[in-house]
Amino acid sequence: MQTRRQFIMRGGTLVAAGVAAAATGPTILVRDARAAGQLKILQWSHFVPAYDKWFDPFAKEWGAKHGLEVTVDHVGFADVVPRATAEVAAQSGHDIHMFLGLASAFEEHVIDLADVVTTLEKKYGKQVELAHRSTYNPFTKKQFALSDMWVPDPGNYHKQAWTKIGMENGPTTYEDLVKAGPEIKKAMPQMQIPIGIGLSQDIDSNMAVRNILWCHGGSIQDKDSNVVLNSPETLAALDYAKRLYSAGMTQAVLSWNAASNNQAFNAQQTAYILNSISAYRTAQDNKLPVLENYFFTPALKGPSGTQLASEHVMSGYVVWKFSKNQDAAKQFLVALVDASRDSMMASKLYNFPSFYGAAAEASTPLAKKPESGAAWITAQCNKDPFGSNPPDKLALLARAQPWSTNLGYPGYGNPAEGEIFDTYVITDMFAKAATGALSPKDAMAEANTRAKQIFDKWRQKKMVGGGGKDK
Amino acid sequence: MLARSPARRAVSVVGHRLTVLFFIAFAIFPFYWMVVTSFKQNADLYVGATDVTHNPFIFNRAPTLDHLRTLFGQTLYLTWLTNTLVVGVVVVGITLLLSVPAGYSLARLTARWGERLSIAIFLTYLIPSTLLFIPFSRLVSLLGLQNSHWALILIYPTFTVPFCTWLLMGFFKSLPKEIEESAMVDGCSRVGAIGRIVLPLAVPGLLTVVIFALTLVIQEFVYSLTFISSVEKMTVSVGVPVALVRGDVYYWGSLMAACLITSVPIAIIYNFFLDRFIAGFTVGAIK
Amino acid sequence: MSVSPALAAGDTIRRSDRRLGVVMLTPALAYITVLVALPFLLALFLSLTNSSAGSLDFSFVGLANFRSVIANPVFQRSLQNTFVFTLVSQSLVMLLGNILARALLRPFFGKALARFLILMPWAAPISLATLGWLWIYDSTFSVINWVLLVTGWLEPGQWYYWLGDTTLAMIAIITIHVWRMLPFSTVILLAGLTSIPNEVREAAAIDGAGMLARIFQVEIPMMKPILTVAVLFGVVFTFTDMSLVYLLTRGGPYNSTHVLASLAFQDGVLGGDVGRGAAVAIFLVPVLVVLAIFMLRASRRAEVV
Repeated sequence: MQTRRQFIMRGGTLVAAGVAAAATGPTILVRDARAAGQLKILQWSHFVPAYDKWFDPFAKEWGAKHGLEVTVDHVGFADVVPRATAEVAAQSGHDIHMFLGLASAFEEHVIDLADVVTTLEKKYGKQVELAHRSTYNPFTKKQFALSDMWVPDPGNYHKQAWTKIGMENGPTTYEDLVKAGPEIKKAMPQMQIPIGIGLSQDIDSNMAVRNILWCHGGSIQDKDSNVVLNSPETLAALDYAKRLYSAGMTQAVLSWNAASNNQAFNAQQTAYILNSISAYRTAQDNKLPVLENYFFTPALKGPSGTQLASEHVMSGYVVWKFSKNQDAAKQFLVALVDASRDSMMASKLYNFPSFYGAAAEASTPLAKKPESGAAWITAQCNKDPFGSNPPDKLALLARAQPWSTNLGYPGYGNPAEGEIFDTYVITDMFAKAATGALSPKDAMAEANTRAKQIFDKWRQKKMVGGGGKDK
Repeated sequence: MLARSPARRAVSVVGHRLTVLFFIAFAIFPFYWMVVTSFKQNADLYVGATDVTHNPFIFNRAPTLDHLRTLFGQTLYLTWLTNTLVVGVVVVGITLLLSVPAGYSLARLTARWGERLSIAIFLTYLIPSTLLFIPFSRLVSLLGLQNSHWALILIYPTFTVPFCTWLLMGFFKSLPKEIEESAMVDGCSRVGAIGRIVLPLAVPGLLTVVIFALTLVIQEFVYSLTFISSVEKMTVSVGVPVALVRGDVYYWGSLMAACLITSVPIAIIYNFFLDRFIAGFTVGAIK
Repeated sequence: MSVSPALAAGDTIRRSDRRLGVVMLTPALAYITVLVALPFLLALFLSLTNSSAGSLDFSFVGLANFRSVIANPVFQRSLQNTFVFTLVSQSLVMLLGNILARALLRPFFGKALARFLILMPWAAPISLATLGWLWIYDSTFSVINWVLLVTGWLEPGQWYYWLGDTTLAMIAIITIHVWRMLPFSTVILLAGLTSIPNEVREAAAIDGAGMLARIFQVEIPMMKPILTVAVLFGVVFTFTDMSLVYLLTRGGPYNSTHVLASLAFQDGVLGGDVGRGAAVAIFLVPVLVVLAIFMLRASRRAEVV
């Protein structure tokens, strides 16, 4: 009894000292003797599960070659950010952390990867512009993350439904969706939600509403990080969302999670969704009846012809400041980009290389690499190795780059943009306006206030510029 | 007793049975739904509810074991179950070690300040976990416990100890003082009297605490989500969604199977101890 | 040493016992102080800073977090939701729990099995049970809608989007919470009913009291302490719970179903603004404290009377 009590009390004192130190003093790093020779990677559970089966052994083998024991831990995509918060708070955890939206909110806590990018650019030529804009902060001049891949976000349309209403190649403009809504309802009465664009608090909706905003000429910030959400263009986008909502959508889209639009499309309950090809791959794996009607369109055009879509996933690998294996981590990231071809194939054409040059034959001269890599990518998409019928069903993906852009467009994906994304400020605004819960004006005013607060907070931290021309 | 006419009696019996049936249906419907979902083929599962000809309550195609195979063959479900139990048992042990003496002390050995202290202790249970999350992360890493079950073992008693101490205090208060006092008159020390007389009498209270703490541990997922990163160290409430919700795809069949298989044994254990649990809880709470 | 008035003269606590009391209390108190009280103070402190992602590298912003939180419509909405959610679900739980407990008081064939089945929801881990409900409420596959459609409640073309409409989503959340809390409260109430001696009931019946009069004038006053306990636990569990909302609706549609605890998680952990998250969560504390003290006192007084 006595000893047990003493033990507990001693433990208590120790813990008390720990809390006191945590609260007041600088971080005390407890060095783990085994830490050297280890590399820990936190990776999402890829939307195409086959990718994980490639990535984990790839990382381990790379480690074995370099005398490192590599551990890969997977979390669901929604848990990537909370896990990062916990690790930063703890100042320990993994060495490399993979983000699939913007890593910028964690910029203070990660190391500069400029040298990795320089190495890779010397090897493969420039990375695609949207990858650069998602991983670099021009205000602090810091390369806070490295993108090895991005994912195009085409429209998915139900061939039979759209053929019935006389648009056999699917919609090309946002106006087409409004027009088609009631017609599809008539032609395919069993379809619950003719147009399935999410307006909920999830990642797909977050991308979709930005597309609508941009194509109507609006944006959260301008290219110099001034908040410009409060604009006639935003109002036009919100008015459009309102029309679209009453023409072809239902409250279902307000509750959707990342899986819902896929489920609805695969169950033939909707005729149009915005999604990468992972839902299509699921339909293929399960040989679903929807398959023969599963087709894709490029990003839709706005009223003045603007054609833009956010990437669907943008990998952002960061190396934490608290990592004790920063050099190994950087080397691994280089190796990961080296394997761009394998990565694209393992993910069944879901991942697109951020460095197109990395998909070229090794013998190609540097100047030709991006071009040659792009040709290889096009060849894969034109003849889908994973059994599409017709085989060129995915050909449009190879042409997606010009209409794909980054979160934060027309500026960079800075930390304020990241926080606005993670707390659903924009989806919130769209959903409120579309359903009439608030007038478009009020919804915009509310979102603008919140956006300015978030930007101001990051400006005070000297991590985001602009502010002089906030609206 | 007043006599009742047979007709009124029959109405009353039917009404009573219907009430019970209604509540049973409400309670088990989600479980029934889990069973059906677990064994349905995907083609039977993913049919929109607008199709009135497709009855979702029955198997329209032959049942399948595919989802169970996925759960047991392709995920670490059994490991997560074991982890949860190991953490649960240790946390329950710590909870008992801390709250039994404290509860007894508050009930018997403190004067008026004990009353106030007990309210204060109970109040700490009410601090939202969102507030404690950040300091805990810090603490866990300082002690080098990240990605270890010890992190959970250290943290979980923060919500079990306050509550259980308070419950046990009430329980000890409900036991007649005379029993220990007579034992002490017979030459037992206070500690001896506690060990030999009080604790055996307190078994229902202790059981309540054990079951209650265990439930809280199995339900917890925020700390587990953030402090454990290796798949093979996860607890059930975190492991199952991480492995079976893949962003785009919910493996509904396997998910429902996991929910079902985890819940049923706990429900059986609960039922076994129900009477003692009721006794312990109510006595502990109002005394 | 003064004898406290609460204790009878013979109950005066001996000095050696007091020392033992302190020794027995210390481990639990030390644990709670170190692992709950100190972190709590640190969290209070963080709410006055602009700490990002939990790093301890921050500057003071005073009450700015609180000001910005209070002005935010989403926060106001979730404050309101927290109260609505708690009040409605607890009223329902107490009402249904009373009916159910009374039904279970009578002997009938299969009672043991019925009790077992009714108890199941409380035993299910909430994160998994919520997934089950998520599937039941699914906008495309909802079995509830199928039943409503087949029985003619829903016209063809009419549809309930359980998680897509603010009101329906609140109903969905409350339903799950009632489902999960009902067994617990029933069990407590059952104990309360069992403790009322049969003679009391019979006496009331002989006096000619009707059933309702018996319930309201005899049984409920007698069960007051135990009702208080049931309500207290129910409210406490409901008020601080973030998992249900977080897993079911993530606060949607358009941040309209958040409760304080889930909003704190979204702002503080998902959004990385720890100070703001802490500020939101702190609004839970005073309410809970007042409530708990009030109810603890009430239950004790009822006991004495």
